[in-house]
Amino acid sequence: MLPCHILLWLWIGFAIVCVLWILAASLSTSGEIFRGEALKFATGFHFENYIKAWTQQNISVYFMNSLIYASISSALLIVICAPAAYVLARYTFLGNKAMKSGLVMAMSIPSIMIILPILNITTALKINGTRGLLIFLYVAVSVPYTVTFLLDFFSHLSRTYEEAAAIDGCSPIKTFWKIMFPLAQPGIITVTIFNFLGIWNEYFMSLVFASVDAKRSVGVGLFTIVSAMKQNGDYGAMFAAVVIVFLPTFLIYLLLSQKVIAGVTGGGIKG
Amino acid sequence: MKKDKKMMVLFLGPVVILFAAVFVYPIIRTIMMSFFAVERPSMKIAEWSFNGFDNYMKIFESSFFKTSMVNLLKIWLIGGIFVLCIALLFAVILTSKIRFSKFYKAAIYVPNVISAVAVATMWIYYVYNQRFGLLHNIFAALGLEELSKTKWLGADMIFWAMLFAFCFSAVGYYMLIFISGIEKIPSDLYEAVLIDGAGKFKQFWYITLPLLKGVFKTNITFWTINTTAFFVWTKMFSPIQSENGTIVPLVYMYEMIFGSKTIRTTDAGAGAAIGCVLTVCVMIVFLLINRFIKDDDLEY
Repeated sequence: MLPCHILLWLWIGFAIVCVLWILAASLSTSGEIFRGEALKFATGFHFENYIKAWTQQNISVYFMNSLIYASISSALLIVICAPAAYVLARYTFLGNKAMKSGLVMAMSIPSIMIILPILNITTALKINGTRGLLIFLYVAVSVPYTVTFLLDFFSHLSRTYEEAAAIDGCSPIKTFWKIMFPLAQPGIITVTIFNFLGIWNEYFMSLVFASVDAKRSVGVGLFTIVSAMKQNGDYGAMFAAVVIVFLPTFLIYLLLSQKVIAGVTGGGIKG
Repeated sequence: MKKDKKMMVLFLGPVVILFAAVFVYPIIRTIMMSFFAVERPSMKIAEWSFNGFDNYMKIFESSFFKTSMVNLLKIWLIGGIFVLCIALLFAVILTSKIRFSKFYKAAIYVPNVISAVAVATMWIYYVYNQRFGLLHNIFAALGLEELSKTKWLGADMIFWAMLFAFCFSAVGYYMLIFISGIEKIPSDLYEAVLIDGAGKFKQFWYITLPLLKGVFKTNITFWTINTTAFFVWTKMFSPIQSENGTIVPLVYMYEMIFGSKTIRTTDAGAGAAIGCVLTVCVMIVFLLINRFIKDDDLEY
């Protein structure tokens, strides 16, 4: 067992060393970082790196954008996808199977197959670089994953609940929102965590469709910062920006890691 | 159960509309576009002019495109073998009643929840740095002067540096899928071979591996999808101008559509053709996986 522990610790230890060093570097001056003295803190802790990164470098704007995109999109996704997943899981009708496999196929299509025509429409409508467009796109491209995940969840719920509700004269729509939707809560929470993290970290869509700096999310924003910092050699503030981008999703993960780990193989993924 | 037509339309409607608007229509239009001369993505269909396979000829003649496809193939094959082997090894270790397995699992998965830009910054500006980088310090401390002077981001190493960094982040996800597969194998199978006197390795070879066939299929499928979307890492490792060492099809396509230092005249039609070629490659991989890894639907 010992060699196994050592092997795992080599892997994890490497990551921990990197993260600790980044933390240390984000509190050092660029000179100290270059001399390889990031861990000494000879001139104390330079919290001004964070202030610089937060105020001068627009990171607060990117941060708010990502928060808006991730929270609104993942909420909308549940409202749109949960009912659809329920109908697909519960009723047999013509086209049910086709829709399910269509959704699975959509998950495997490279995103480059869809961006050109979308770009054509959005340019014609002059809506590139608006928050509404990005939210719409994030919702739309996450639909296949969300529906497929919830579909599996609903199909494992017992039918007796609906039968009891029907006897009591509850309409199917009401039955769904009052009884089945709350019952699916564990699955809904898991899929929301994944959607939130995914949209928060999304890069490609944000790069293509958020044409103005003020509408960019943290991924593209951090990229801009890193390029700028490299130019003027301000490594301290660059690493501070990295920490600011790193922390929110890391903290969410710290709180919810068991839920995330269980969710990776949920939703019809054959594991 | 009684069907309620109104409810079905109401519940399915939004998803069907979104799906048609963002998947069905764009995919059809992209396929069409790949056979037309289209300069900018904003051009109307009326402004397109049919040019048969010219777009495909153009990209296949471009050495940059060929390099990008070869790079993607290397990422998929070499990176794939590396990631799946490490992921399987960790999965086997973590399902063998080892202590702290919950912590290990959670820790190895971490890079998957962090923005790839942040992770890549860490690799480029710390791990691979020549003056104060982690690798430099480790090799210097071990007295390996030559290795400590390696230019990890130089032209001959940059691809491997990028690939390793990408793979390090990816392992956790595939590990979790393997773990869930291994946990589904009933323990009495292991007990049976244990009585026959099979060691750890034989258990793995004769029980675990054959029963993980379906899981391998899942993992290869996801790996394929994951690598075709390879974009941020290239952008991070060569931010200003794409180089032969790091170019991948998606980045090449991006430059085709929006232009770059090397590509002055944009060509959206050729961009669409790249998308189609990539999609066809993905489909071929899926067909081959389904052909060679048969789901024999084992009943435990």
